[in-house]
Amino acid sequence: MSTPFSFVTVAHLEAPAGLSATSFDTLREGIERAPDDSIFQHVTRNIARHPHARDLAGNDFSRWVRAALQAPEAAERLALAGSDPSRPIPEVRAELAAAIERVPARDRRREAAEDATFYFVRAVSVLVPLGSQARTPADVVELWPQLDASSVFYHLIEALHRGDTGASLAAWLRAEGAKGMARAVEEEVAEGRPLERLRRDLGGRWRRSQIGRRVAEKAGAPESERRRDATATIARLAERLREEGEAR
Amino acid sequence: MSDLLSRPTPHAPAGGWLAKYEPVVGSGTLRALEALARRLKGHRIVMVNTTKTGGGVAEILHRVVVILNELGVPTTWEVMEGDDRFFGVTKRMHNALHGHVEPLTEADKDVFRERTRMEADRLELDGDLIFIHDPQPAGLIEHRRVPGQKWMWRCHIDLSRRDENYWEFLRPLVAQYDTAIFSHIGFVPPLDMPTYLVPPSIDPFAEKNREMGEEEVESVLEGLGLERGHWVTQISRFDRIKDPLGVIEAYRLIRKRRNATRLLLAGGGASDDPEGAEVLAEVRASANGLAGVTILELPPGSDREINALQRASTVVLQKSLREGFALTVSEALWKRRAVVASAVGGIPLQILHERTGLLVHSIEGTALQSIRLLDNAELRRELGSEGREHVRDNFLHTREVRDYMAAFVALL
Repeated sequence: MSTPFSFVTVAHLEAPAGLSATSFDTLREGIERAPDDSIFQHVTRNIARHPHARDLAGNDFSRWVRAALQAPEAAERLALAGSDPSRPIPEVRAELAAAIERVPARDRRREAAEDATFYFVRAVSVLVPLGSQARTPADVVELWPQLDASSVFYHLIEALHRGDTGASLAAWLRAEGAKGMARAVEEEVAEGRPLERLRRDLGGRWRRSQIGRRVAEKAGAPESERRRDATATIARLAERLREEGEAR
Repeated sequence: MSDLLSRPTPHAPAGGWLAKYEPVVGSGTLRALEALARRLKGHRIVMVNTTKTGGGVAEILHRVVVILNELGVPTTWEVMEGDDRFFGVTKRMHNALHGHVEPLTEADKDVFRERTRMEADRLELDGDLIFIHDPQPAGLIEHRRVPGQKWMWRCHIDLSRRDENYWEFLRPLVAQYDTAIFSHIGFVPPLDMPTYLVPPSIDPFAEKNREMGEEEVESVLEGLGLERGHWVTQISRFDRIKDPLGVIEAYRLIRKRRNATRLLLAGGGASDDPEGAEVLAEVRASANGLAGVTILELPPGSDREINALQRASTVVLQKSLREGFALTVSEALWKRRAVVASAVGGIPLQILHERTGLLVHSIEGTALQSIRLLDNAELRRELGSEGREHVRDNFLHTREVRDYMAAFVALL
């Protein structure tokens, strides 16, 4: 018998990490010394901090280098280094440091203005159960639009970083035999899109993947039930199109 | 003072604040708040500050207390009282912690300690989660902490330029708290206890931010003697750190290139503040003879006017030289305005350059980016739209309530 999947949500408290940077050198030192939950805050959590953004403006390091050090080339490299939120923190850290290493010597001397210091912050995660469970992968598809953005982020991304495999939605789906749904999670997460778009795209893929199964299940149902389901499906589609229109 | 006055009873609208928030933040966000509130079941929060009216802290508490109670977390609000001597000392303390040079005498310390002791006897601090706002009531912990209670200190002011004499007086009191909360990382002094960053937030239903139709905007403009046009607007008190003279210089540069543009400088702080009056006089002198400039001195409580003026503006400026958090930026973004603002204080948290607005570092930059926006309605629309979403995600009261509950959960 399979284990139900229990949804949680997470509130991220931000706390000073005790490090700061005013130049490329101090930024690299900070990136090398910062605790994992600081790299997580500035890079990985970027998609959760701007869930409704049309597209993402790069991680905090990238934005600061562009604005305070006026170095767009390095900013681009730093943005790309952190663009896949599923990558392990040590890999992200190494790639960020490597991006700074590539900054030409003439640009390395740049200093930020006094009031433009970069302060490292870390995320403190406070987990709370939402009280809802999925017993089957189909339940996940139904519950998906009702979750808050932080819950989506935790189950798709943060749980993996914390080693909380029991809360990883991809791992649970795979264990339930929904390999296509699990693969969709991994592929969509790696795209690094803003969280609400990730949620919408993933939900769309899941629903489409279930069409065949639903049709087969309903084939033997009475005409009235099939009509009712068709009406509900069209209503959901209309609602989704309306929401997508508003989001655009 | 009567019991009613010392224990403010904020009012909720019919159906409750949470019901009003649902279409704004979504039902998922409200369910997440309810989940956090369940973790606080059996606990009781007491908020303490020193005023129930006026000022941003009281404004926020009026909403936050109601929302917490609606979520099922029993929360009361106590107001510490004081006489003129006490508030004279705490006013100087406030200024000194902001960086002004102020004397601190032994007599001042005695006034502070004595009033704190008296209020500690009077206030009902009978919850187990005590939430103290700002320095004035910080000393209550010395007299009233009992085993099992958790005390949290919320500092709403910028301590980055603090007068060390005052901070050395305050620090031993603050050090007794279990947690401290600041609005921005740049404001945090060295402290040994867990410290969190919780930015302030706005109320989308407040008079200053509520939705307002075109007709009402027109009507307010008419009342102020203004016409529709390409307004570049800064709404801030007349204070040198808001750089109103820099705004006028930027406008001179804009006007040379886009001569249909008009400038509106609106704000308060001149009638009851000698320095404000001086700055206003300088602003008027600087704008003398410059076409298209309107300077409005707004009385306290001009929230409807501010709402309409922001909505009627083509570009909203916040060209400060220094800032605390500058929630005026979030207020403008919530109204989908295109904002040009200095990269100081809490502004870069609100303005993500080229995404939710445009950050600048100079008078010339202010002029250049304003011209870009005046010329490009599509860019204004895009920045305004992203700005509103950014505020929805990060700077509404529901997020502040979530952070406070999470900070208490983290303590338990």
